[in-house]
Amino acid sequence: MRWCLAFFLAYFLAAVNALSSSGSRLLVILEDAAEKSLYSTLWADLEGRGYDLSFESPKSDDLSLFQHGERAYDHLLILPPKSKGLGPALTPKNILEFLNTDGNILLALSGKSSTSSAINSLLLEADIHLSPDRSAVVVDHFNYDTISAAEKHDVLLLPRPGPLRPDIKPFFDGEGVLALPRIAPQTLGSDSVLVAPVLHAPATAYSYNPREEIPAAEDIQATGSQLNAVSVMQARNSARFAVLGSVEALEDKWFSATVKAPGGKKTPTVNREFAKQLTAWAFKETGVLKVGAIEHHLATQDGEAPAELNPKIYRIKNETFFSIELSEYVYDKWVPFEVPAADDLQLEFTMLSPFHRLSLQPTRRTETSTVFSTQFVTPDQHGIFSFRVNYKRPFLTNVEEKHEVTVRHFAHDEYPRSWAISGGWVWIAGLWSVIGGFLVFVIVWLYSEPASKGAQIKKTQ
Amino acid sequence: MAHPALDVLLKGSSGRSTRGLLRIIILCTIAAAAVSSRLFSVIRFESIIHEFDPWFNFRATKYLVQNGFYSFWDWFDDRTWHPLGRVTGGTLYPGLMVTSGVIYHVMRFLTFPVDIRNICVLLAPAFSGLTALAMYLLTSEMTTSPSAGLLAAAFMGITPGYISRSVAGSYDNEAIAIFLLVFTFFLWIKAVKNGSIMWGALTALFYGYMVSAWGGYVFITNLIPLHIFVLLCMGRYSSRLYISYTTWYALGTLASMQIPFVGFLPIRNSDHMSALGVFGLIQLVAFAEFVRGFLPGKQFQRLLTSMVLITFGLGFGMLVLLSVSGVIAPWSGRFYSLWDTAYAKVHIPIIASVSEHQPTAWPAFFFDLNFLIWLFPAGVYLCFQKLKDEHVFVVIYAVLSSYFAGVMVRLMLTLTPIVCVAAALALSAILDNFLVISAPTPPAKTDTNKSDKVKKPIGIYSYFSKTFVTCSAVLYLLIFVAHCTWVTSNAYSSPSVVLASKLPDGSQYIIDDYREAYYWLRQNTPDNAKIMSWWDYGYQIGGMADRPTLVDNNTWNNTHIATVGKAMSSREEVSYPILRQHDVDYVLVVFGGLLGYSGDDLNKFLWMVRIAEGIWPDEVSEREFFTARGEYRVDDEATPAMKNSLMYKMSYHNYQNLFPPGQAADRVRGTKLPADTPQLNTLDEAFTSENWIIRIYKVKDLDNFGRDHSSAVAFDKGHKKKRAAKKKGPRVLRTE
Repeated sequence: MRWCLAFFLAYFLAAVNALSSSGSRLLVILEDAAEKSLYSTLWADLEGRGYDLSFESPKSDDLSLFQHGERAYDHLLILPPKSKGLGPALTPKNILEFLNTDGNILLALSGKSSTSSAINSLLLEADIHLSPDRSAVVVDHFNYDTISAAEKHDVLLLPRPGPLRPDIKPFFDGEGVLALPRIAPQTLGSDSVLVAPVLHAPATAYSYNPREEIPAAEDIQATGSQLNAVSVMQARNSARFAVLGSVEALEDKWFSATVKAPGGKKTPTVNREFAKQLTAWAFKETGVLKVGAIEHHLATQDGEAPAELNPKIYRIKNETFFSIELSEYVYDKWVPFEVPAADDLQLEFTMLSPFHRLSLQPTRRTETSTVFSTQFVTPDQHGIFSFRVNYKRPFLTNVEEKHEVTVRHFAHDEYPRSWAISGGWVWIAGLWSVIGGFLVFVIVWLYSEPASKGAQIKKTQ
Repeated sequence: MAHPALDVLLKGSSGRSTRGLLRIIILCTIAAAAVSSRLFSVIRFESIIHEFDPWFNFRATKYLVQNGFYSFWDWFDDRTWHPLGRVTGGTLYPGLMVTSGVIYHVMRFLTFPVDIRNICVLLAPAFSGLTALAMYLLTSEMTTSPSAGLLAAAFMGITPGYISRSVAGSYDNEAIAIFLLVFTFFLWIKAVKNGSIMWGALTALFYGYMVSAWGGYVFITNLIPLHIFVLLCMGRYSSRLYISYTTWYALGTLASMQIPFVGFLPIRNSDHMSALGVFGLIQLVAFAEFVRGFLPGKQFQRLLTSMVLITFGLGFGMLVLLSVSGVIAPWSGRFYSLWDTAYAKVHIPIIASVSEHQPTAWPAFFFDLNFLIWLFPAGVYLCFQKLKDEHVFVVIYAVLSSYFAGVMVRLMLTLTPIVCVAAALALSAILDNFLVISAPTPPAKTDTNKSDKVKKPIGIYSYFSKTFVTCSAVLYLLIFVAHCTWVTSNAYSSPSVVLASKLPDGSQYIIDDYREAYYWLRQNTPDNAKIMSWWDYGYQIGGMADRPTLVDNNTWNNTHIATVGKAMSSREEVSYPILRQHDVDYVLVVFGGLLGYSGDDLNKFLWMVRIAEGIWPDEVSEREFFTARGEYRVDDEATPAMKNSLMYKMSYHNYQNLFPPGQAADRVRGTKLPADTPQLNTLDEAFTSENWIIRIYKVKDLDNFGRDHSSAVAFDKGHKKKRAAKKKGPRVLRTE
């Protein structure tokens, strides 16, 4: 029986292992059931990674993101509808609510048809902007596929993106060429810090509305690398929202296509690998950080256990030790998190503003996590401080830890005694000399009885 | 004569002990009357701590009882002044809490299971009984008439001027401090009279207790040296003065320095310098007296003049030098406001904003003291007639405290004891002369031999005038008692935590919004949710809701209070970062508009603006809250600054929905309100009490999608977002 249970558990764990860190229920919004077969490799890949796929049409009556007030799905993959909107179940408000409750979304757009206004207003809330007429396509006369778009130049060939900045982990990098047909370009506003570009168009690209007879060159919204083919937003609760400009890139056709850039060689596309990376990131298989144990206590000599773990109160000028355990989820397992070389994981000891900002060093490593720690002296200021680890980087889930502790003043018996302070010796000497002098005076006074003669003389006077 | 049986009791040695017994019974009755007249609030409402400051004292006492004296001494309170905290153990006068703590432990030791709250509630009445006894002792020192002391005790027991600060539940420092004040003065008079080290040391002991109990100890610190100084100027130096003063000063200063909050103030603060100066002066005078015995007059005169000049010059020079170099702290702001009543309004709005720091209105004197106030000058006049050392004390005390009582309402409290003494002296003089039935006996015949006419002794002969004066005195006394009872019951017995009002049919209606809201906080918020409110409510939130607050009635940090004032008086976009920075979870405002409760935050709002303006004159301006015609308005014509301020929005949020469209009215300020309810973006309404007196708002988290709150709210309301309007200049797009 026990064997059976162990086997069952192991099987269950194996099944769970190959899953996203935040659930497996994936809803695919697909307007036309016939189109399902176009993406069969993608579905197979996703199912192979352990997702339970359900397909719904946006027009379906029983489509609802929530059931009994809870999320009904963990992830949402929206393919662009042909019709104007996404229906009553997928209003921008509902979709934002889905994100608010930790659901993740991958939204695919297409340059073939104009994007619906509902999606447009949803994207505006995330500070991702589409072209004003919502039906632009990115064209590049230097990086196009000569096989499939010799005329229109609207199938872009791009290398996979490297890291966004040197201090950011790459999640979408690799060898090979991506073919992105008919990209609906996105531009990112400068207000939001939560959006990040994944893949932007080459400098020679521009956006253009194929329906207009004469392209207007006067009012160009954005050109070149301002245009994004893939952009993402990670909400403050770490819910992920990825926008892919070209839905066609996910089709079976482009997974296995061979492309040729002008003046280049014929190469197979790496769309399938990129689709895996993008869906894995969007559905929280990569770039997920988990905070394990957080410990702080008074610093001890090596090996000694602290008297009290995570005390509520410290004193000023205490030597204090802080450690935080971080793991990163990579596809199917938790691994020790490593901070990129150019980056720093920092601890702040704050009251209104940081009194200390220290970089946390990796000190210990377990099978699934790294323990970062540091040691410092609490400032000479009493108050309610907090240990804060505020590690927010693009593509990584947010780590925001705040642990309040009180830093109190010296108690009346914690000051050094007066005789221990050499500067106080003068005063102590003064004190005792006065006391001694007084005693001597009293003794002299008491034992120097005036001669009785003198007393008599005084009386007579 | 007629009753020989009574003669046994009234005459001779047994008569003396009968009178003594009678006196004790009278005093006990007076003490009982003093206690019972303070129990109105307990009977009307319940055994509850009143007002604001008592809630802190109560909380501190609970801490003391739970954690013991040493942890109280070292108490760092992390639930007030978030995030600064308060070194509470070192910044309070511990006398009150320690007193109740001791009473609590004694009761427990005697196996009386008493709740600490009841001790705190009833401490003030109990001590007022003691005050009456101390008053008897003090007044008895002033006169030989036995009735004066009893009268003074009776006056002190029930006069509203003292009751205002000592009803049951008013658990404030003054509750025990007035007893200590009177008793210290009694001991001081004893010490001066007897020139005794023992009485001087006892004075110092009780002075030390007084220092531990109330900041008003400075009054004693200055009054006693002044007494000595005046006596010296009157040429009344004696070794009695020297002994009593030096004993008191040396021991008393040492005792006062044991209180952490006082610490080195007695030698560093200007408020204490007069005591030190007189201490020096009396040494010099004593030395001069000593030298006078050895030197001929002329040389002594010259020596004295030169010595006085040199000493004065040196002392003054030192004082200036030390003040300039900062060793001696300059006079505190509260002190300046004692001399110039407009000073605080201009320089320290935080002091001026407290209602009990306002100058006293004239009717208040009669209201608080009734007929004592016109007997008072008569009593002072009687003191001039005898003018012994102790009478000089009464005169000085009377002059000083009448001035101070005129400057600040709360100092009425220090005036009351001396008014009782003086009035009792006057009234007892009247009664002693008019209550004698027999005609004045002529003096013994042996003295006046010369004249043939036997001079009639001066006195009252007519029964009519005796009856008339006695009756009117009794009438005044009866009116006094009636007045005191009426004032106590109507004006001073409201806990102010619970408001009482009368319904049209005369039945009582209790408005319990404060406690409703505080208990809501206690039940529904996390244990360390930070509450921001104006400082008036800090102690109550700490005491009743048990939640950390940003500012409270211990107004030690003006900047922090100004920060709260700025958050309240600024636009939401300005306030929100302040709220975030200070970890504020909930904001609490008091709004009286629905009920007509005038003590609400909008009426205090200008003080918030003023205090904030004191720190950030560029960002907050009082002028912007007044209309062009200089009016403070909340209706349609309110200024934009007013309408956009967080306080205005929080007060009137959703208020208009209570009324039919366009008829919303504010019953405190008596105006119609704008038709639309103000739009709050960064706060969510969390709780509104039954009568809308307390409104609590929850501070929203940052928007999940990085939008600003106004556009997030607009989106939730269904407004479509327009593409950002085209700005002039190049568009900024991200290319990273």
